[in-house]
Amino acid sequence: MEQSKKSLHLQSIVYALIYGATYLPAAWLLKHQVVGQPVSIIIAIVPVITFAIFIYKYIKSFSAMDEVRQRVQLEAVVIGFALTAMLLMMVFLLGLCGISNNLWFGYADMLGYCWLFYFIGWVVSKRKYGV
Amino acid sequence: MKNTIKVERAKKNWTQADLAKHIGISRQGLNSIETGKFIPSTLLALRMAKVFGTTVEELFQLEGNEDGLGE
Repeated sequence: MEQSKKSLHLQSIVYALIYGATYLPAAWLLKHQVVGQPVSIIIAIVPVITFAIFIYKYIKSFSAMDEVRQRVQLEAVVIGFALTAMLLMMVFLLGLCGISNNLWFGYADMLGYCWLFYFIGWVVSKRKYGV
Repeated sequence: MKNTIKVERAKKNWTQADLAKHIGISRQGLNSIETGKFIPSTLLALRMAKVFGTTVEELFQLEGNEDGLGE
């Protein structure tokens, strides 16, 4: 039982790494326009699929966690989501005012901030519950 | 909310890891409950009471104004 729980946690981490390993090269290839458009579309879809698999594994892992760890993950996701939504709202509204900076606040950067905010939430919640 | 988990554990001479294993949570999770940082679910509280051979009321007590009855 304990072994299968550990296996589920490990699987979610492995799939997160697989997602990262597909997303970063895909972003690089598409940015530098190394391949033609038909292949680019396939390359663009691959990280989305690996991300979907990762989320599926993460949810399975979440259901196998004890309630303290579930609370930590839940708070991390809520904090991450709330901060990302705030940033998106601010960038959108500033964009309407004609103030935008695609160098720091493009789509790719937003994804990075989203992960950053999740990890901030995770650290905050872990410290709160002392786990 | 205060609890007597540490006292009950000492009576059985169990470490946090021992109790955590009995009730199916992580040692860190149990530490969080024991130190009052996390309030466990009814299910977990009942499991704990069962392994100690006591009641949930004995294990967990409200303190101060937590009874919600006001002054």
